[in-house]
Amino acid sequence: MSEALLEGLVLVLQWKALAFMMLGIVLGFWVGLLPGLGGATTLALMLPFIYNMQPVEAFAFLLGMHAVTATTGDITSVLFGVPGEAASAATILDGHAMAKNGEAGRALGAVLASSLVGALVGAAALALAVPVVRPLVLTFGSPELFMLAIVGLAFIASLSSHGGRGLVRGFLAGLLGLLVSTVGQDPQAGVARYTFDSLYLWQGLDLVPILVGIFAIPEIIELAARGTSIAGSLPAGRISRGALEGVKDTFRHFWLTIRCSLIGTFIGIMPGLGGSVAQWMAYGHAAQSARTAEERKRFGAGDVRGVLGPGAANNSKEGGSLIPTVAFGVPGSTAMAILLGGFVLLGLVPGPDMLSKHLSVTYSMVWTIVLANVVTVVVCFLFLDQLARLTGVRGSILIPLILVLVFVGSYTSNNHYGDMVATLAFGAIGYLMVLAGWPRAPFVLGLVLGKIAENYLYISIARYEAAWLTRPVVLVLIVIAIAVIIYPLFQARRKAAHA
Amino acid sequence: MKCKLMSLGLAALLPLAAAAQPNFSGKTVTIIVGYKAGGGYDATARLLARHLPKHIPGKPTVIVQNMPGANSIIAANHIYNVAKPDGLTIGTFNRNLPIAQLTKVEGVKFDITKFQWVGSAANESTILAIRTDLPYKTFDELRKAKQTVVIGSTGPGANTHDFPLLLKELLGLNFKIVSGYSSSADIMLAVERKEVDGRAGSYTSLRPFIDRGLVRPIVRARSTEPGIDKLPADEDAAPNARAKAIMALRSAPEQVARPYVLPPATPAEIVKVMRDAFAKAIQDPELDAEGKKAKLDLEYLPGDQAQKILVQVLQQPQDIVAEFSKYIKFGE
Amino acid sequence: MHKSAAVGLSISVMLVSGYAVFAATAWPWKAALFPLVIGIPLFCLAATELLWSLLGAEPPSAPNEVELSTDAAARRRVVRVAAWMAGFFVAIALLGFPIAVPLFVFLYLKLQGGEGWVLSIVLTAAVAAAFYGLFDALLHLPFPAGWLWSWLGLA
Repeated sequence: MSEALLEGLVLVLQWKALAFMMLGIVLGFWVGLLPGLGGATTLALMLPFIYNMQPVEAFAFLLGMHAVTATTGDITSVLFGVPGEAASAATILDGHAMAKNGEAGRALGAVLASSLVGALVGAAALALAVPVVRPLVLTFGSPELFMLAIVGLAFIASLSSHGGRGLVRGFLAGLLGLLVSTVGQDPQAGVARYTFDSLYLWQGLDLVPILVGIFAIPEIIELAARGTSIAGSLPAGRISRGALEGVKDTFRHFWLTIRCSLIGTFIGIMPGLGGSVAQWMAYGHAAQSARTAEERKRFGAGDVRGVLGPGAANNSKEGGSLIPTVAFGVPGSTAMAILLGGFVLLGLVPGPDMLSKHLSVTYSMVWTIVLANVVTVVVCFLFLDQLARLTGVRGSILIPLILVLVFVGSYTSNNHYGDMVATLAFGAIGYLMVLAGWPRAPFVLGLVLGKIAENYLYISIARYEAAWLTRPVVLVLIVIAIAVIIYPLFQARRKAAHA
Repeated sequence: MKCKLMSLGLAALLPLAAAAQPNFSGKTVTIIVGYKAGGGYDATARLLARHLPKHIPGKPTVIVQNMPGANSIIAANHIYNVAKPDGLTIGTFNRNLPIAQLTKVEGVKFDITKFQWVGSAANESTILAIRTDLPYKTFDELRKAKQTVVIGSTGPGANTHDFPLLLKELLGLNFKIVSGYSSSADIMLAVERKEVDGRAGSYTSLRPFIDRGLVRPIVRARSTEPGIDKLPADEDAAPNARAKAIMALRSAPEQVARPYVLPPATPAEIVKVMRDAFAKAIQDPELDAEGKKAKLDLEYLPGDQAQKILVQVLQQPQDIVAEFSKYIKFGE
Repeated sequence: MHKSAAVGLSISVMLVSGYAVFAATAWPWKAALFPLVIGIPLFCLAATELLWSLLGAEPPSAPNEVELSTDAAARRRVVRVAAWMAGFFVAIALLGFPIAVPLFVFLYLKLQGGEGWVLSIVLTAAVAAAFYGLFDALLHLPFPAGWLWSWLGLA
C-alpha cells in the first residue's frame, strides 16, 4: 500500500498533471463562489475536454476543480449569506453572523482552516479505508441507511432551542421540511403528490433555489433594513485582521473540528445520503458542545464553532464520497456520478480493480485532493484581506449585485423560472420564520432527508418485513438516535441542577 | 457553342441550387436536452454536438442547452409549441414520452408523431440479470423458481421497474419488486449486499457487472445486440397475443432510444439536411472512437422509420392500452 | 411583530398540513403513508405553537437566528427592498435576463442607493460584462427572451 501511496504522489507531481490541477482550481474557485453554478454542472461541461488526457491528468483537473468548490462556497456564505454551494448553507448561520459583527476576517480564517483540516481527514480516510471499505459499505444496507436518516433527523433536537417550546418549534420546522420533500412523483405508486398539475413540481422542489431563498433573502432584507454595510458601523480596519485568529480557533477546538470532519467523511461514504446532510449534522454536533444555555444561544449569533463544524464537514465529505464511487461505482452524489462518467471515459472500471490493480491512480486522487485544498487555502489567505473588506462596502451597492447572484443562481439550477418563484416564496417564508423565532436548520434537514427516509423505509419493509428492526447495526443506530435527542435535554437538566 | 450555352445555363442554375439548399453558416444550432447535465441523453447530445458541424452545410456552431423538468415533458412541450421551425433548434428527450402521450399524462402538450423526426441516435436493449450465485441459470429455470426472487428498481416508468413487472404480471414469474432505489448504481450495490437478487436495465449499463461475474443475463426484451442475442426474449414466452402486444408496446420506444426531433412546422429541406447530417455524423469514425471511449453506442435510425414505430405505438387499440396502463405508468 | 409572525405562520402551517392530510387520503396507501405520518403531527404541533403564541409569554428567540430590525424606519426599508426584488423578477419575466440584469443594477444603484453616475454606470457595465462573458459566451446557458418581446413579436 505504501508503494502505491508514493507512486500516486509521483504521478501527481508531474508538471502536466499539476498544470491541469491549477486550471481546475481556478475554474472551481469561481464555480464554488456562484450559487446555482453547481460543481456538478461544471464537471459535466468539462468532461468532454478530458477525452484525450491521461487518467492522472484528467483527475487532477476534475478533482482539482471539484475539491475547491466546497471551500469557496463557504466564502460567499460567510461574506454575503448566500450559499455558494448547497453544502455550504450551514456556514451561513454563524459565519455570516460573525461577518455582521465585524469579524469577517476571523470567520474566513476559521472556514479556510477547518476546510483544509476536513479535506485532509477526508483524503486520509480515502487512503486508509482501502482495505476495509468494501465490507464497511456492504454492511450498511437499506435498513441501516434508513436509521442513519433518522439519526440525521434526530439532530433537529440539537438544532432547536432548549425547552419545550424550542423543541416544538424545532420539530415543527423539521416536519414541515419533510412534508415539502414529498412534493413530486412518488417512487412506489407513481402518484403525483401535491403537484397541482404543475409540470415544474413534478420532480419535486430543487434544493438550491430553496436554500438560496430561505437563507439569503432574509439576510438581504435585513441588510437593506439596517441601511449600513454588512459589518455594520464597525471601522474597516478591524474587519480583516482576524484571519489568524480564525486559524487559531480551528486549533483551539481541534477535536471538535476532527469530529466534524469524521462525521462528514462518514456521511460521504454512505451512498445515497447526499452531501448536504453532513454539514447540518456537524453543525448540530458543534452546537451540542455548548455547555450552558447562554453559550447555546450564541450559536447563530456568531460562535466560531458554528463555522468550524460545517466548514470541516463539507470538505471531508468529498474524500468520503469518492470511496463508494471508486470502490463500487456507486456515486455518493451528483458530482461523483459525473466523475464516474470520467472514469468510464478513461477506461477505468470502478470496483475491486481500483483498489488493487489501479491503486496508484486511486492514491493520486487522494494526493490531488490534498494538494488542491492546500493551494486553494493558501491563495484564499492571500486575498483574505480584500475579501473581508467587502463587508465594509455600503449595503446599497452590494444588494443589487447579491440579488443578481441570487436570481441567476436560482434560475440556472434547472433553467426554469419556477425556481426563481420558489426562491422568492421560500425567501418570504424564511423571513417570517426568523421573525416568529422558528429555526430554519431543522427545515432544511427535513427537506434533505425526507426522500431518503421514505425510500429506504419502503425498501426495508418490502425486503425484510419486520426483521430489519433487529439487525445489529440498526439497533446501534436506534440507540445513537435516542442519545442525540436526549443529550440537549440532559445538558439543560444538568445546568439546572448546578444552578 | 452548345457547351457555352450549357455552361451558361448551369451557371444560371447554380445560385438557385444554392438557395434551395439551406445554409447554416454563421448560425448556431441548439440541441435542447430534456435532462440535466451529466446523464446519458446529455452525454449523447454533447458528443453529437462536437461532430455535427462538419456535416451540416455552412458548418454552424452546435451547442447544447439543458431544459430539465417533468421527465423531459417540459422540453418536449417547448420544442413542439415554442421553438421556431427554422432548423436552429433540435430537441432530445425521454424515449418513453410516447408512453406518456399514450397513457394521457397531464401536462403533455405535444403529439409525438407530429414532430419532424431527425431520427434516433441509439438503440437500447433491456435485459434482466440476476446474481450469479443463484441457482437459476436460464430463463426456464427462473420461471420454475419456487423461492421469490427479489428485483430492485428505481420506480415506475423506468425500465428497471417496468420490464420485470411485466415478466411478473404477464408471465407469472415469482418476483418481488422492491422499488425506491435512487439510481441503478444503488441497485447494483444492493445486489452485492445480497439485499436484492437482480435488476433489469440496459445491456450497456449492466455489461461491466456481467463481465465481472457479479450477475448473469437471463432474458431480454425485443431489441437485441451482439452479446445477448442468444438470450430468450420476453415476447416469445407470451401466453397470448394480448400479453405479447403489451410487452411489445413497452419495448417499442427502446428502438428509438435517443430521439432527436425538430419542431412540427420545420420545412422539408431543413429536415432532410439534418437527417443527412446525423447519419453522416454517427458514421463518422472520430465520433465512433470518442463514443466507444465514453461507452456510448450510437446507431442511426432514420427519422421516418422512428416515426413509423411511434405511430404504431399510438395506434394501439383501446383495450390493449387500458390493460397496459394498469401496469405501466409514465415516470422516469 | 414577532408574535403576529408566529401566529400567522402557525395558522398557515395548520392550513397547509390540513390540506396535505386531506389530499393524501385519496391516494393509495403506499403514496399516502409518509404524508399522513408527517402531516398529522405537523398539524398538532402547529396548533400547539398557535396556542402558545396567543396565550404564552414572549418566546425566546430561536437559536441560529438573525436578529431582525423591526423599528419603523426599518419596516419601510423592508417593504421597499421587497418591492425591488419583486420588480426584478417581473423585469426578468418581461424583458429577459440579458436586459433585466443591467437595468435592475443600474436603477437600484441610482434610485435606491443614490450613488453617483460614474459608479452606477461602471458597476452596471461590469455586471453586464461578467454576465455575458460567463453565462452566455462561455456556458451557453439558455436565457429566454422576455414575454414582452414575444407579445410584440420581436423575439
